[in-house]
Amino acid sequence: MKLRWVTVAYLVYLALPIALLFIGSFGDLWLNSLLPTGMTLRWYLEVAADPSFRRAFSASLFVAVATSVACVVIGLPLAYAVFRANNRRLRALARVLYQLPVALPALVLAFGFILVFSSDTLPWLGSIWLLIAGHIVLWLPYFLQTVVSDMQRLGLRALEDAAESLGSTALQRFFHIVLPALRHSVLSGLIIVTALSIGEFQFSNLISGFLNRTYPVVLLQAFYGATGFACAATVMLLTLALTASVLGAYSARGAARFTATGA
Amino acid sequence: MNDTPSVRIENASFRYPGGKSGVFDISLDIAPGELLVCIGPSGCGKTTLLKLIAGFLPCAAGRVLLGGDDVTAVNVRSRQCGIVFQSYALFPHMSIWENVAYPLRVRQVALAERRRSAESMLEMVGLSGYGERLPAELSGGQQQRVALARALVFKPRVLLLDEPLSALDAATRVTMRDEIRRIQKQQNIASLLITHDQDEALSLADRVAVLRDGRLVQVAPPQAMYDRPADAFVASFIGRANLIDGTVATAGAVDTPLGRLLIATPAGTVGASVRLLVRPEKIELASAASGENNFAVTVVHDRFFGASRQLELAVGQTLLKVDTASRAGFAHIHIPRHAVQFLPTNGRS
Repeated sequence: MKLRWVTVAYLVYLALPIALLFIGSFGDLWLNSLLPTGMTLRWYLEVAADPSFRRAFSASLFVAVATSVACVVIGLPLAYAVFRANNRRLRALARVLYQLPVALPALVLAFGFILVFSSDTLPWLGSIWLLIAGHIVLWLPYFLQTVVSDMQRLGLRALEDAAESLGSTALQRFFHIVLPALRHSVLSGLIIVTALSIGEFQFSNLISGFLNRTYPVVLLQAFYGATGFACAATVMLLTLALTASVLGAYSARGAARFTATGA
Repeated sequence: MNDTPSVRIENASFRYPGGKSGVFDISLDIAPGELLVCIGPSGCGKTTLLKLIAGFLPCAAGRVLLGGDDVTAVNVRSRQCGIVFQSYALFPHMSIWENVAYPLRVRQVALAERRRSAESMLEMVGLSGYGERLPAELSGGQQQRVALARALVFKPRVLLLDEPLSALDAATRVTMRDEIRRIQKQQNIASLLITHDQDEALSLADRVAVLRDGRLVQVAPPQAMYDRPADAFVASFIGRANLIDGTVATAGAVDTPLGRLLIATPAGTVGASVRLLVRPEKIELASAASGENNFAVTVVHDRFFGASRQLELAVGQTLLKVDTASRAGFAHIHIPRHAVQFLPTNGRS
């Protein structure tokens, strides 16, 4: 019985801020009361009409999509290489290296980027591509972790050996066995990457140029204004992150299905 | 049947880098249609031997021939060995029929033909109607059948089975053992089965090969292997065995820790050390101390299995295993003369 109350208390604690955001975003006036008064959609309309929010919205989306694509293009072969490495020490070393950014505060990475890319030789600070590069460093480890552990769980090596003995070439094995067998973990890896990328603040706040600030960066400004406006903007970020994850999931599944039936 | 063995291994060796394990100087033939079971304790190199034939490992020395062709330098893909893996290694994202048809898909067989072949293979292994399911929806025994069908659908030169039954529960294991035998005979394909289970080896094999520390100890049909083991290791690994060390006393008797044992075959030079083998089922229980080779015993363990009874008896300090169907009480045992066999003391044939 007591345990159930702990669970309920935790869920309330978890959901309450989000619920309040929702309520606040539709509330007309919210000053010194517990709950706002009046119902309105104007905060959403204001956010939608705001040019800096519109720009941030597309910038965030672009960064998230580009990071996801890069994770698949770089991450999948890398995960495969780490998994197939014969030398156990090499494998351990690779794992430590690609896990490093998880332990590294985004702030430290951002300072590093500022130091390197504000120089005259590499004057790329403020470009959206640099922002994407940083996001790749930050989120690739999560993708690799998901995919490599799935390779181990599936016993991918035995599957490949089986396929090889049945007569398939290395290329056929990759497209017939490796890719389709990994579709679930690639999918969930992409969801993680997309959600993390869209919500990221620390790094983006320091690195992004004025014209390609991401949504969370712009959102911070909103809290200096009306409460309802800030709430609506935050709810939109939440929706954006959720939508991007779901879209990422569907596109990856579609791609996997295509490779499974085509080729 | 022609005389060319389906598989011939000539003086093959392979050593794992940085270790003593591997296989050394193995020579072995598998005749067309023959089922050879390779057995040995874990780490003896039996799986290594399979990998040498399949091509997953290169021979450091020696040759591998399949159907008379030297394939030592040929890659896995082109060797055309049907392999059933310990974990089955079914492709989780493909339906059952797609799994079975996969070898045909990479051989560019037309879709309709692929489907038809897969169906007939599935029927052969007793799984018709399961084609559209996914591997995860099948039981272990059924997955095993799929793995067999997939390994045979492309008419491989040899069937290699790597501990195919070790992941199954006891009841399914016995059924699948008979199934493997039936299918192997029906397809009439030369096969190598790796196992560490002696029941499996004795009941399945046309010939048994015992491997120890990477070396072949004995290759013989199951009955011959049981009746005339090459050494003490084989004797105790294939079946249960009482091994008794002794000294030749006279031409017809050996002094052992049990006492003087009368034997049927001439013992050799008087004074020589010999090692004797007495199978547990050949020892008879006796109620009284009369006759030759009769010893008083005390019971250490008495395990009842319904049809049989496994006893562990002490004669002085020596423990003897005895298998019997009798439920009667007893205080003595009788070891018939013909039950005593000689083993080479340092024999490795």
